[in-house]
Amino acid sequence: MQHRSKLTRWKERGSLRFPFFLLMKGVDLIRTERSRRTLAFYLMVSPWVVVFAFFGLYPLFYGLYLSFTNFIGFNIDRLRLVGLQNYKNVFSDTDAIYSLGRTIYIAIVYVPIGTAVGLLLALLLNRSIRGMGIYRTIFYLPSIVPLVSVGLMFRFLYADKDGIINTILKFFHLPALNWLGYDYATLSLVIMLVWGAGGGILINLAGLKGISRDYYEASSIDGASSFQKFFRITLPLMTPVIFFNLIMGFIGALQMYIQPILLTGTRLLDPPIRPNYFYAVHAFQQVFAFQRFAYGMALLWIMFVVILLLTILIFTTSRYWVHYETDQEG
Amino acid sequence: MTSLRYNRTNRFILYSALLLCSVMFVLPLFLTLSNSLSPWFDTPDFLPRAFEIENYRFAVTMIDFWKFAKNSVFLCLITVTTTTLSSGLVGYAFSRIDAPGKKVLFMIVLSTMMLPGIVTQIPTYILFHKYGLLNTFYPWLIWGLGGSSFFIFLYRQFFSVIPKELEEAARIDGCSIFRTYWNIFLPLSLPVVATVSIMTFQGAWGDFISPFMFLNEAKYPLATALSTIGYVYERSVIIQQVAAAASILFMLPVIATFFLGQRFLIEGVVTSGIKG
Repeated sequence: MQHRSKLTRWKERGSLRFPFFLLMKGVDLIRTERSRRTLAFYLMVSPWVVVFAFFGLYPLFYGLYLSFTNFIGFNIDRLRLVGLQNYKNVFSDTDAIYSLGRTIYIAIVYVPIGTAVGLLLALLLNRSIRGMGIYRTIFYLPSIVPLVSVGLMFRFLYADKDGIINTILKFFHLPALNWLGYDYATLSLVIMLVWGAGGGILINLAGLKGISRDYYEASSIDGASSFQKFFRITLPLMTPVIFFNLIMGFIGALQMYIQPILLTGTRLLDPPIRPNYFYAVHAFQQVFAFQRFAYGMALLWIMFVVILLLTILIFTTSRYWVHYETDQEG
Repeated sequence: MTSLRYNRTNRFILYSALLLCSVMFVLPLFLTLSNSLSPWFDTPDFLPRAFEIENYRFAVTMIDFWKFAKNSVFLCLITVTTTTLSSGLVGYAFSRIDAPGKKVLFMIVLSTMMLPGIVTQIPTYILFHKYGLLNTFYPWLIWGLGGSSFFIFLYRQFFSVIPKELEEAARIDGCSIFRTYWNIFLPLSLPVVATVSIMTFQGAWGDFISPFMFLNEAKYPLATALSTIGYVYERSVIIQQVAAAASILFMLPVIATFFLGQRFLIEGVVTSGIKG
């Protein structure tokens, strides 16, 4: 027993619970309460700050730097700055312009639909009747299915010859459609995305639960119909949530590349069919299929700046149309 | 919306709408399940014409399924433990400790959620290549230790409703700041801890792009393996039924954790949610 090591003694005092605790012991030595708290704060957030600096900011700006070079995969030791050449190339690249058009198209078509579906499902669920928990689970379930499985499932559902959807259509004597072909590929993608749109339910439900029941009771007394309640109470009070969903939806849609690739085939480097050839897919292709790293980074940085501008624009104009609860108190 | 009584027509419309939506959401999953039990190259139908449980055996033997599954489990283990603890620590600091520069830093944390992943992923690939981090699991450890901005936000929201008296009592008893977090806040926050670990697990389990970029095939997790290696017959024909079986097996852990933790998941987000 007398041979207890220093380590054992520390263990008994509980200091080895977590290495961080040792650091905190040091914090306790500092005299003033205020500087102690400041130091503790910065120590505790340091994991995030350090990782963000080295694995977030550094790659981000390293990518910006690469977009001004002639990097094509093997010449990392002999990089040459080429100025704005890569950026100029983007505007003369017909594939880039085409893919941008398709991206904007899918964003405009899908985002409002996805947001509306999320809200409508939440409205449907925001009632106190029996079995609601089960419906909530069912609606939410598709959004947690991993994308790999979603892609695989829908590829088989949509299959031209032996897909179940076409089998069902034939059963009702309707013409079979080439779902993954040129004409319907985007529609098929939108259907697949809407199927997973239930993820938006939670945030909408949280918003709906935040609306005081007093409003509805008061309006019932005044004889308001359900439609009036929806348009005069629910919708205005839900605008912050809708607005949040729209922004996040747009940002997500502009950088979408995984879903169309998964809907295409088993190989991640196969380009999707033309209508689903989106901007980020184009960048992904340039980098991983053609090793055009510098050009790919230029493409991505343009996307990044557009997303940034869009976010700022939506945030600054939001006060004209978003109804926050505090506005109406006065 | 929650009016106290529904008349019969309203009730009928409501239940039909709920039922219709449920069918729409479950149908693709059900059809895939039915497909996975059908004989090879059979025309799909609502119910399988035979009960080919063999497809599941082929799903795990035609490719090195268990090896990839092991990789998945390992990646998830690293990611879930580090992300859950680290995000909690950072979230605690943001919700409970006052320090100069805190507000600005929190705005930065929030704004990183808007950062498109692919913009940093590609340069990260080049940097990892330079520093020999490719084909190792270290990046997942480091990313995990950094926590994730969304979860930091979630923790902060949750912690800020815990009464201040608890903290003061702990301080009077001589509890250090870190111990207050570890011994008082974390045990009180099981719903949010469960939410974060389940969401992290689901994200890590399903992520196939990062492993595709940063690892070689031998270290691929299941997600990447299933999206790059197909179940093919005589080198070219994809066997839908076996692939469907594999995809069912692959999503099982995610669905299981969802059912286990959905009480936490939904309440964790709905109550601590976006308010504040």
